Amino acid sequence: MSLPDLAVVSPAELVEPLRAVVVWLLRVTTVPVLAYFVLINTSYLVLIGLGALDFRTHLRARRTEVATLGGELTPGVSLIVPAHNEEAGIVTSVTALLSLRYPGHEVVVVDDGSTDATFERLRQAFDLVEIPREVPQDIPVRARILGLFVPRDGHTRLVVVRKENSGRSEASNTGVNAATEPLVAMIDADSILDPDALLRVAKPFADDPTRVVATGGTVRPVNGCRVIAGRVVGVDMPRRWLPRIQVVEYLRAFLVGRSGWSRFRGLILISGAFGLYRRDTFVEAGGLDPDSIGEDFELVLRMHKMLREAGVDYRVEFVPEPVSWTEVPSTLRVLRSQRRRWHRGLWETLWTYRGMVLRPRYGRVGMVALPYYWLFELAAPLLELYGILTLPVALLLGVVNVPFAVLFLALAYGYAILVTLAAMAMEEWAFHRHERWRDLGTTLLSSVLENIGYRQLTVWWRLEGWWASLRGRKQVWGVMTRTGFNEEAS
Amino acid sequence: MIAGSLLLAATDGVGLGCGALAALACLTRVGRRRRLTRRRRLLAPHRADLIAVSAGEDSEGASLRALATAPRRAQAALAENVTGMLGKVRGLPAEQLVDLLREHDALDRARADLGHRSRVRRARATQLLGLSRDSSAVEALLPALDDRSPEVRASAAYALGLIGDPRAAGPLLRATGSPGGGLPAGLAAEALLGMGVGISDALGQGLRDPDPRARTVAAHLCGAGSFTRPRPILRELLAGDPDLTVRETCAVALGRIGRTEDAEALARHTEAEHPLPLRRVCAAALGELADPTAAPTLAALLHDPDPRLAELAAAALVRFGPAGRHALDAADHRGPVRSALTLARLQGALP
Repeated sequence: MSLPDLAVVSPAELVEPLRAVVVWLLRVTTVPVLAYFVLINTSYLVLIGLGALDFRTHLRARRTEVATLGGELTPGVSLIVPAHNEEAGIVTSVTALLSLRYPGHEVVVVDDGSTDATFERLRQAFDLVEIPREVPQDIPVRARILGLFVPRDGHTRLVVVRKENSGRSEASNTGVNAATEPLVAMIDADSILDPDALLRVAKPFADDPTRVVATGGTVRPVNGCRVIAGRVVGVDMPRRWLPRIQVVEYLRAFLVGRSGWSRFRGLILISGAFGLYRRDTFVEAGGLDPDSIGEDFELVLRMHKMLREAGVDYRVEFVPEPVSWTEVPSTLRVLRSQRRRWHRGLWETLWTYRGMVLRPRYGRVGMVALPYYWLFELAAPLLELYGILTLPVALLLGVVNVPFAVLFLALAYGYAILVTLAAMAMEEWAFHRHERWRDLGTTLLSSVLENIGYRQLTVWWRLEGWWASLRGRKQVWGVMTRTGFNEEAS
Repeated sequence: MIAGSLLLAATDGVGLGCGALAALACLTRVGRRRRLTRRRRLLAPHRADLIAVSAGEDSEGASLRALATAPRRAQAALAENVTGMLGKVRGLPAEQLVDLLREHDALDRARADLGHRSRVRRARATQLLGLSRDSSAVEALLPALDDRSPEVRASAAYALGLIGDPRAAGPLLRATGSPGGGLPAGLAAEALLGMGVGISDALGQGLRDPDPRARTVAAHLCGAGSFTRPRPILRELLAGDPDLTVRETCAVALGRIGRTEDAEALARHTEAEHPLPLRRVCAAALGELADPTAAPTLAALLHDPDPRLAELAAAALVRFGPAGRHALDAADHRGPVRSALTLARLQGALP
């Protein structure tokens, strides 16, 4: 058909072939999409169940807890703080980390080529002096180290390493090289730990010193909380809806997702914002990959691969109670950049380790966790976008009727709300950090509002990230604009 | 039609589930607050007496008598409170609080609860018996080390540690490495440390345990509690244990309690054919031990290509006194040596 011919085609003549295409598409995809829908929701139900079991164990342990935190066999910890242009909060952050309850910990700040007064602030606050220490290259690092500094008092356990700028992963690796304790934890300079967080997240290492190689704690948004001198003293919901919805998202991800995977002994993701590792295993695995976008995920998978192949009996555990508070994006621009990066990191890491999928040699990680991440974490936005696009078109063309479409949407989004409410009920049952009734109401409302606009946007952003990787575009980290904590005068 | 009905049923189910979960969250909060209020109300009339007894200010026993005659409905809340306090007080106040629990039959109930179906009840009963520090409870507590519930096993270890009877050391170490899950190693170590010098034989056996957790605990305690008799086994494990953590723990223990022959063993394990983490631990242990025979080994390590190992050797030599300083002066002042000397000056260990 030539272009002049098209000009005389009526809309009705165009709609009919389109209708036929949509009918064919729905016929071909209905069964696989429904199967996927049933599978993904069943997997969520299983994870909720496992998470609930983990919580029950956790609660039971808390009701019968004996005072053992920080006792014999508690290993020393080096807290690695990569910092790039963090002059505003670095001193408060380091002071808070130094005063954490723990029998033996040091803080290693890696000034990653800051162009502001990050180092100068630290030098003045802690009276730093340079020492001629050579940092071992246990993990090879490309950037040059400019100097290593310690407080003049000789006793404050702080080390500041200055290096050329080369990114967060290399800065973390440099920190691990400079660390002297048997455990290492990466802490963002703008994160806040609960006073007991380190003791709790290190407890599995004291309980099982020969097998536990990594543990992770819960990360929660600090937006809206009251902070005094680097400590969260009041947990409130943020004032804006965007961070509020992320509070709900984090609850679901950590309290349902990670607890469930940990219970199943298939935890493959420890948040980069709060993870604790055996230093020797971290080094043996080669440290964080500076070229990876999802470096925390990539590291844990690499550790699993290495230890499984070596036939080592090991454990990676999630401890739900210790909390690291972090600021989440409060603008759509920053959120978009974050979600694009996360999904791109997920895709690139899963692709790198595709050889582990469905290989019995890698145990539950290879047989269950990785296939799950491929099917339900990576592919989910693709399927969701398909649903978002086809349902309105099918509705417009009369392929499906309105009641069916409404019911389908109600079921799909209702299920998402159900999963969130399960996480919320668990939070209320186990931790009840939000004391105000108003916050409970806001959380309930956020779990509904999340499905109107927010969810669709994140689907799109995640696909953008995936697409950018497939096209080989260079990843730009972007700048996380901090609005700062709701800091009160002490 | 069938698909539509199924969809409707599923949507109804999900809607009901959402409603139930939202209600559950609210009811959980209401229930928790009501329990807290009730507990506060029950304890309020007895708070002053409890404080007087636990602070040792009840010289005439009036507060204790008042607590003993507390109404039955308040006794459970009181027992819970007293249990919490017993972990913090010692001496006469602790004895008085135990008397109070006995008066309320809480200790008899705890013995009966050791076989209760609820694991929380069993764990709490176990802890209470331990907090009463009654050595006659040891026999009753030992089976709890093999309980199917990890909370009960941990509580038993804690209780036995509080009672401090060394007869429990062997079963405790065996339970640590039990294939069914075992005891938390840190808790076991803490409990064993509370049992005093009578655990020496048990530690020797623990070092031979097939499970590396038990060996780690035993090795750690040899160093922490200055048990020198098992030193030959520590040297043996340092040389050949299949688990690196056990080898490192043995090295640390030998650094604390070793003698010249142990210094030789540690020095051998600083050689290049051993894993780097173990070499570093051994170098630090030599500094802790400060046996002069190790000085040449440490002096040689000052030239090791690994700067951390060289600095640890230099720091160790600083602790040797004049002999170590002599070795340091003889070495060329590379970065690791200068770094160790600078740190020692900042810490006041050197002028």
